[in-house]
Amino acid sequence: MTVVRATPATWHPDDIDHAVRLLAATPTHEGRDPDLLRQWALTATEFGASLPATPCHARIVQLQGGLDEGLLARYTSRPAPTLTLFTDSVQLAERVIAENGWRDWYPPGSVRAAALAHEAVHAQLHHGPHRARLKRALGHVVLRFGRRRVYGHVAGTEEIAAHAYAQVTCGLGRSPLVLTTALSEHLNLPPLTHSDRREN
Amino acid sequence: MGVIILLVMAAGVAAMLTRKIPTAFALVLLAVAIAVLAGAPATGKNSVLDTVVQEGAPMLAATMIAILLGSWLGRLLDETGIAGTLVRKIVEFGGDRPVVVALGVLAVSTLVGTVTGSAPAAMLAGIVGIPAMIAVGIPKTTAAGTILMGIAAGMPFELPIWQFFSTALELPVETVREFMLKLFPFALTAAVAFVLVETRRRGVEHTWSLRTAPPKSSQRKRLGDAPWYALLTPVIPLVLALGFELAIIPSLLAGILYAVLTTTRPGQISKRLLRTFYSGVEVAAPPIALFIAIGMLLAAVKLPGAVDALAPLVKGVSPQNAVLFVIVFTVLVPLCLYRGPLNVFGLGAGIAGVLIAAGIYPAAAVLGLATSYNQVFGVSDPTSTQTVWAAQYAGVTPQQVMVRTLPYVWFVALGGICVTAATSL
Repeated sequence: MTVVRATPATWHPDDIDHAVRLLAATPTHEGRDPDLLRQWALTATEFGASLPATPCHARIVQLQGGLDEGLLARYTSRPAPTLTLFTDSVQLAERVIAENGWRDWYPPGSVRAAALAHEAVHAQLHHGPHRARLKRALGHVVLRFGRRRVYGHVAGTEEIAAHAYAQVTCGLGRSPLVLTTALSEHLNLPPLTHSDRREN
Repeated sequence: MGVIILLVMAAGVAAMLTRKIPTAFALVLLAVAIAVLAGAPATGKNSVLDTVVQEGAPMLAATMIAILLGSWLGRLLDETGIAGTLVRKIVEFGGDRPVVVALGVLAVSTLVGTVTGSAPAAMLAGIVGIPAMIAVGIPKTTAAGTILMGIAAGMPFELPIWQFFSTALELPVETVREFMLKLFPFALTAAVAFVLVETRRRGVEHTWSLRTAPPKSSQRKRLGDAPWYALLTPVIPLVLALGFELAIIPSLLAGILYAVLTTTRPGQISKRLLRTFYSGVEVAAPPIALFIAIGMLLAAVKLPGAVDALAPLVKGVSPQNAVLFVIVFTVLVPLCLYRGPLNVFGLGAGIAGVLIAAGIYPAAAVLGLATSYNQVFGVSDPTSTQTVWAAQYAGVTPQQVMVRTLPYVWFVALGGICVTAATSL
């Protein structure tokens, strides 16, 4: 897979809209200022895109049943870091891409690669120093002691960063969030709301 | 006759287990059947209609009022944004360390559990808490279990529960409080152990979900952060009841007043109080229906005819030796699951009544057994509303939650039963 580095100028406005909607549906962001959410979405996207490309060290397991669970991939850190790729969901995604004529955005095989990249970022953020950097980049101050500031965690931004990383690393023309929306519509899944369980 | 009464009780349990009849209705039918089998006349002293129905129905009136006030306070915690603010702050401060978020949500659930119980308590802490935990990587079953274990850790200080055991077992509130203080360390230890062990065993989980955010935000209206001093609301009734030994109902009322005064403009206070009271009544309706039925059942098993019939049978199988007492009643813990015969908010209340009325155990020992079983029922029973709600909201089955939490709450029950054997037998 060719690595194509996107610059902020290349982000499609719709991609950022998708990211903003994801944040808005994340608990703790009830009714937050949409401009602030947009700023966080953009920062997280840029942060994810800037992450160094790293191979996925997790054990990869391929399973059926993703459509039943409503999942494309899953990363679990215990007992050993494992990345589960749901092959039925990946196949459906490839079919939806072909039906919508999105091959320019998502080349053949890119869904699998994006899923691996997406979960690899979660592994990186979980184990590495990047999480603290993301928090600082977002600049959500929750406490001040004179000049000292305590930055707060912004729920949902890691997910946006993971999607941006996958987009850049796999050379996708559009965010994987666009594909997620298409898959959700194809499967007629109810949208996430605050009163729903939240998956990321 | 005692055997027939026990067979009728078994039939009642079967009806509740299979959900043929709602628990409250099944308990009323059981109460009437037991009274008839015990040879009670239709009316007059120790009768079906006057003693069981008329006097039994309001027997737990004080508990019903306490439940109602707890539900009212719960609605206020929700509407004023106090519960949401607590969880939001925890996620913001500890979001990059999932175990810290889980411990924080556990603490909020414990606080909420001191105020109100059942599904409303799970919803207060869980509506924001469960998705927030899942968002930071806590696996779904652990997230649901954290809410339930937290509520159970608060249960020893849930004032309506004190009132229930005090009235149902005819014990002074002070005796109930004293035992609850001994039970609390077990409940808290198990809850913290659950979070620490399960987050370590299961690690974190992140998924690429096929579900997406709605095109237009359909999010709950943000209520704004409640002021920091309003966040103290859940501890107000507790401090008054525990520290100042104020009665339960005034303590709960003080909590309600504190919540509304610290979060509401003066002109809006009466409107908000009335609105949340009405919705609190709705929330309290199912447990109140249950307490009406339990009151009748308690009245029925205390009838002289029922006591005479059941006492020899129950006495024959009830261990008197302290070690046997602990072993037998710890092994019997699963019988409080699935609306089983030891479920305190079902037939278990009747059995407790028989144990006391027949003089098999002192009331304090029955209190120890009942509260220990209540800790198990409150977390692991896949038919209890809070477990069903928390599991489904997290996206897992109640049975998964039961399997994950049962070892921890079994330990709590063991602790409670050991204390009972050591202090009350």
